[in-house]
Formats: sequence, C-alpha cells, structure tokens
Amino acid sequence: MQILKAEPGSFRDPYGKIFYVDDNILRVARYDGINRINFISKNNLLEKLISQDYLIDSKITNQYDSIIDNIEGKIIIKHKKIPFISYPYEWSFEQLKDAAIHHLDLHLFLLENNATLIDASAYNIQFNINKPIFIDILSIKEYVEGEFWLAHKQFCENFLNPLILKSKKGINFNNWFKGNLDGIKTEEIYSILNIKDFFSYNIFTNIFLMNYFDKKILKEESKKKIDLGKKKLSKVALVSILKQLRSFIKNLNYVKSKTTWDTYSQNNTYKKNEEDEKKKIVTNFILKNKFNHLVDMGCNDGVYSEISLSSGCKLVVGFDYDLNSVENAYIKAKNENLNLLPLYLDAANPSSNLGWNETERKGFKARAKFDGMLALAFEHHLAIAKNIPLEQTLKWLINIAPKGLIEFVPKNDETIKKMLLLKGDIFNDYNEQNFKDIILKNAKIVSEHNVSASGRKIFEYNVL
Amino acid sequence: MLKIIFTLYIYFFSIGTAHAYIDPGTGSIILQAILGFIAVILAGASFYWNKFKLFIKKIFKKDKDANP
Repeated sequence: MQILKAEPGSFRDPYGKIFYVDDNILRVARYDGINRINFISKNNLLEKLISQDYLIDSKITNQYDSIIDNIEGKIIIKHKKIPFISYPYEWSFEQLKDAAIHHLDLHLFLLENNATLIDASAYNIQFNINKPIFIDILSIKEYVEGEFWLAHKQFCENFLNPLILKSKKGINFNNWFKGNLDGIKTEEIYSILNIKDFFSYNIFTNIFLMNYFDKKILKEESKKKIDLGKKKLSKVALVSILKQLRSFIKNLNYVKSKTTWDTYSQNNTYKKNEEDEKKKIVTNFILKNKFNHLVDMGCNDGVYSEISLSSGCKLVVGFDYDLNSVENAYIKAKNENLNLLPLYLDAANPSSNLGWNETERKGFKARAKFDGMLALAFEHHLAIAKNIPLEQTLKWLINIAPKGLIEFVPKNDETIKKMLLLKGDIFNDYNEQNFKDIILKNAKIVSEHNVSASGRKIFEYNVL
Repeated sequence: MLKIIFTLYIYFFSIGTAHAYIDPGTGSIILQAILGFIAVILAGASFYWNKFKLFIKKIFKKDKDANP
C-alpha cells in the first residue's frame, strides 16, 4: 500500500503543499494555485522552463488522485527528486552567487513570457548536483503590467546581502544565515558597511536607500499613510533593475583568506606512495560496492570524491567545514561536470532541524541517507580538536551510512601533535585498539590497511 | 551618474502620501519607483546616445564616400 506523507516544511503557500507518496514528490495546488498551473501550462511555458533547465522536471498527473482523495478541487504536479536537499547556509559564496544568477535569469525569462515570480526565497533554488535549479512552480504567476517586484527586499536579504557580506567584509554568511533563516537583514548589513562601500550604485540603492525608506516609512506610518496604489513600475524598468542586479552579482568576488585546508590535497603530511595507496584503497572499496549515494565527510577539494565517481559511484555529497575547500570542490564539480555536491558542515555543530515547529528545514541527520561513506583524516577533528569522545564520534559517523571507510590518525602523527601542542594529551582513551573496539561494537570490520609510516590506518566497516 | 541619483534622492524625499496599508516591504516599492525612473532615463539617454553615435558615423561615412 502506498503511504501518503505531508512535508512539514511546506506550509507557507496557502495555494500549494508538498506530499510524498513513497519516493515520489507531489505538489498539490488549490485555489489560485490552480490558475497559476493553468497559466504555466499554456503556451508551452512549462515545457520551455524545464527544457531550458530553469525549473525542476515537473508533470501534471492524475495518477495519485485516489491516494490524495481528501483534498477537493486540486491539481497534482509530480516533481523529479533532487538527489540531496541543501540550504543556502550550507552553500559557498560561488554556490549562492550561481543560485542568485539562476533566480534572476529565470525571472527575466518569465518576464519575456509575460510571467513573473511572487517571491525570491533562496530555498526555492536547489542544487541538482552541480547546477542550480528552481523547484517551486507555484511561485510563478501571470505578469500584470505595472506591478512592482514585491520580492525585491526578499531577494536582497536572501541573496544580495549575504554575498555583499562576504565580498565587502570577508565575513562568511553561513552561520548568520542559519541563525536567521530569512537571510541577512538590510538594516544589519547597512550598519556594517562604510561610506566607501556605498559608492557602488547597487549597494547604495539596494542597501542604503532600501534601509532609508524602510526607516522613513516606519516613522511615518503612525502619522500618515502612503499611497502606492497609483504608482506603477513598467516592465522595461523591472527588467532593467533585474539586469543591473545580475551584472553586479556576476562581478562580485571576495579576497580569499588563506585557510589551513584549502591547499591540503597538495600539501599534506602524506608521502607520494602513501597517498597512492590511500587512493587505491578508496578505488577498490567503491569498485566493490558500486554506491548510488556516497557521502565524503571532510571532502576538502573533492580528491577522493572524484576518485569515487570515476570508480563507478553515481553521486557524492561532500561536506567540509572549510568554506574555501567547499568552494574549490564546487568549482571543480561545475567545470568538470562531476556528480559532486560539496556543502558546508561544521560536524561539531551540524545543521539541525530549524524554522517553524523545528520541522521547516531539516537537520543533517534527518537528510543523511547514504549507502556509503568516506571519512578520511576526519575523526581527529572531532575527537581531538573538539573534545568529542571517541566513542560518540565513531558512533555518529557509522550511523551516517551502513558501509564506509574511516581513517584512524594516531597521536604521534604530525597533525595530532600540533593539535595537542598547547592543549596537552588529555585523551587517554584515544588509541588504535580502542578505536577498533568501538567500531566492532557498532559494525563488522571488513578490512584494515596501514596508510602511513606514522601509523594512520583505514578501517572498512559494514553494519549489515 | 551620482548627480542623477542625488537629484532623484532629493526629489523622492517628498514622495506622495495618501492611503494604503503598509507592510515592511513598502520601502522597496518606493525604491523601485526611483530605480525604475533612473532605468527609464538611462534607457532614454542610451537611445539618444546611440542615435547620436549613428549620426556621427554617417557623417564620417559620407566624407569617406565623397573622398574615396
């Protein structure tokens, strides 16, 4: 029997909700949502949006009418499944920039086709592996001549302000965005920019003036009301605003601050032959298991993700807490068209269930459904650097996927020596035997390989 | 460019006031009215600038044609 499940995070749009039937993703449109779907279906707009990779593959279907029988007057749209749902606070600068450009390109394309977008939520963009794609068909509606871009401020707070924060101030937007799911507020970004920054036309208008008018209106609201009924924005003007923003965002960059990890794959403590051996172990593990969805914990710039893909793995989702590494891996995935989605994750403070009722945005654990895992040179960043007990670290890792490779890094390894230099050795339980015993409590050990003269060892486990 | 923005900025300080419910995004609507105005001016300026360039080109072309 097919089971119907409502998506708890789909509640903001009164005209449509997401449901799951087994592995199928269904959007049920009602009320004005039906008019929007009918409009999009006309003039081949739906086909054009899908064929030009603006919108996720979506089909109107009546296949599920009998399962969703408690909702009257509806249209059901079946969407293609996104391999891994990610959120803007897990993206690197370049990923958010590409998402912003995709949003603006979609809006410009819609305006050419007499349609527009009702919102500008960054959550409506997902990464279909290495390319951004729009997922919310019900955000598209018929364009009415003269209407304002109601989502202008939302666009700025979801896309523009976080990008400016990184570009002009060198501050990563991720943790700030995770704290306020609506992005970086105009008044917040305004207060940290300086006069020099406001010389930019786009920053002056979209931040300085936006903040000024917001404040002015709040002051005046109690005294008198502002009439916007007669004011109109021509399509030419709207297109021009969108193009201005597109060109500004396209040219936004930031000065990369050097981190320990962004050159790790070239400058690490391994010798050439040790690294080759490690690559061989990964290749054999992937060849043997042929995973559909592999997770690469501490993926760095994606060296082992790439090896996994070339060895037959279908998709890799990589996580790293170094944003420069995530950026490098994303650029590589994009340029070489790899089935790799790198994302930001601080494993000691992973994305948790957030938003309304703590179900709107799912945490890492709720989304982490992988059939294989690589955790190479990773565990000591939790067990040593973050003082997370070894038993908890390994249990957490093994729970991510039923099969995997976990590398043990001994205390006499140079990286751990550095970590313990000031802290001192306070980790009495951290040794290879204990490491092995903990894995054995949670899984079978399939194989173990020495990979460095310092005593690094890769364990292959299997919980099945 | 800055002069245009400054002039418009002063002009829109006295934006029309009357009757409508205001939500927190209203600031962006007033802003769009300004940005739209600038866009139209720039589009107009670029139209006449292109016309002017074409006119100049034509003159030089004529001169060339006259003196092969």
